[in-house]
Amino acid sequence: MTRAPVPPRILAVGTSHPPRAYTQDDLVRLFRCEDPKVRQFFESSHIQRRHLVLPEPDADGVMPDEDGGALLAKHLRVSLEIGREAVERCLEANRRTAVEVDFFATTTSTGFLCPGLTAYLIEALGMRSSVHRADIVGMGCNAGMNGLLTVASFAAANPGRAALLLACEVCSAAYVFELTARAGVVNSLFGDGAAAVLVVADERLTAADGPAVLGFESHIVHAARDEMRFDFENGRFSFYLGWEIPYLIGEHIRTPVLRLLDRFGLKRRDISHWVVHSGGKKVVDAIKYNLGLTEHDVRHTRSVLRDFGNISSASILFSLEKLTRERIAGEGDYGVVIAMGPGVSIETGLLRW
Amino acid sequence: MSETTLRLDRVGPVATVTLDRPDRGNAISMTMVRELEQLCARLEDEAAETVLVIRGAGGTFCSGIDLLDFPPEAKPDIRGFSRWEKACRTIERLPMVTIAAIDGECAGGGLQLALTCDARVATEGASFQLHEVRDGFLPGMGTFRLAKFIGLGRARFMAMTGRRVTAGEAFELGIVDRVCPAAGLDAAVGATIAAFGEIHRDAVELTRRLFDESFEIPYEDFLGCFLAAQHRAIQSEAFKALVREAHERGVPRPRR
Repeated sequence: MTRAPVPPRILAVGTSHPPRAYTQDDLVRLFRCEDPKVRQFFESSHIQRRHLVLPEPDADGVMPDEDGGALLAKHLRVSLEIGREAVERCLEANRRTAVEVDFFATTTSTGFLCPGLTAYLIEALGMRSSVHRADIVGMGCNAGMNGLLTVASFAAANPGRAALLLACEVCSAAYVFELTARAGVVNSLFGDGAAAVLVVADERLTAADGPAVLGFESHIVHAARDEMRFDFENGRFSFYLGWEIPYLIGEHIRTPVLRLLDRFGLKRRDISHWVVHSGGKKVVDAIKYNLGLTEHDVRHTRSVLRDFGNISSASILFSLEKLTRERIAGEGDYGVVIAMGPGVSIETGLLRW
Repeated sequence: MSETTLRLDRVGPVATVTLDRPDRGNAISMTMVRELEQLCARLEDEAAETVLVIRGAGGTFCSGIDLLDFPPEAKPDIRGFSRWEKACRTIERLPMVTIAAIDGECAGGGLQLALTCDARVATEGASFQLHEVRDGFLPGMGTFRLAKFIGLGRARFMAMTGRRVTAGEAFELGIVDRVCPAAGLDAAVGATIAAFGEIHRDAVELTRRLFDESFEIPYEDFLGCFLAAQHRAIQSEAFKALVREAHERGVPRPRR
């Protein structure tokens, strides 16, 4: 008789963010934004504050310009601070140390590095030099799920070995912070943060240790590939977000979610917990009405958006941490994780406690 | 599935569920709550009908929760109320038109159940009452629902006095949408179903939900909810057909 494969479990989550938080009002004032349309984005974003790393205004109160090189340097510096802290908190929550990590994957879309972030953090954290690694760069907000699929696959294939995912996003280093009409939506939305999860498959683990990762379903909408993208202008990146994106995601969200549920013989009502990416108010509404979710179902999605903004690939892990801290998930409960981003891409995963 | 507290009749597009505990005034027991939830799940999954009619057996709609379900010696447990409210919510989320066909007593949890529906049809002899406050406990989430139908003042007076309201009065208040003679309930239900015309599941579910939320959400937030819901509705085959037909006829409005 063959034994059922042991599912990988998420044993711990750790998060970190830069110390300084800015309210939307702070930013409008700091950047001396007069454009009523841009101010409107800031006021109606459902974001109260975001953690960002911004330069100090000069003696005349003007925000200095940061060039591409300065932004890249900031990405590395801040990533090492918040990435390291998130990993340490995650490992500490499971009483493990960095030398016990066998596979280390990172996701980021806010700075291009070569060698990648893992090369810096393996040294800084004191991981073994034999650790396997993967740097997933440029996949955007959905990358948290692409990263989770990667570490969960490693864990499933290597029972007993520890896989660690770090989603590390320094959005304030991704592009120039400016409050023009085109950049307004984007600059009113994204925040900095890092989150790490530890995934291990071991038959001795139970629901009390953390939820099992049962499977994933992906869906890519080619028609909208150019609606969410980085542009390279005047030697720097800027991010473009088409107005129709939230609705497009709403329109397609049922395809991967129902496929995922069908595969496991489940209905939407069987799902007790929803972990949805805090992409922005509109996309959360779109998902809510297309999947029939309640405000309670998206409470963590909303609160992460309110307190941190959209932290790209780290958002779902921040929500997962909040859900974990509530301690309401009981043995046998199912959860669905949804992240969406450029592609246009919808990534889903099924958890069971 | 064998119901012991409910009876299900399925005829064409109409599923009728009858609360079937006539010897106990069709009182809501935990078994009934569980069965009601299972039945809703089944109707939703099978998606065979577009209308759900809820009625009571033996000349009574529903007398409220079944106090015999509470063991006399044990400490009363709140979880049953939570379960009951969950069942009410499930009915409110069904992608079907829901109609309460009310004869006789409609009290406490029974009124609550009627308020979860899209329409309430009652015989002249029907009566409506929230008796709980007078009995020393609370009228469930009736405190949440009733005021939305009849206004805060009337709802408070009705709940706090526990006054019994006749069908005619309930119509005036806005609790009931149609009153009929004692022998005319089936015909009145039929006429009510006909009044809904062609039923589009998504449009029914989304509209009910938006009305529900319109009391809870500020305008700006509600606007986002509406746009998300409307986007889903206009992606439907029904809306596309409507637009095609309008172009064919060269007329800006649908055929009515």
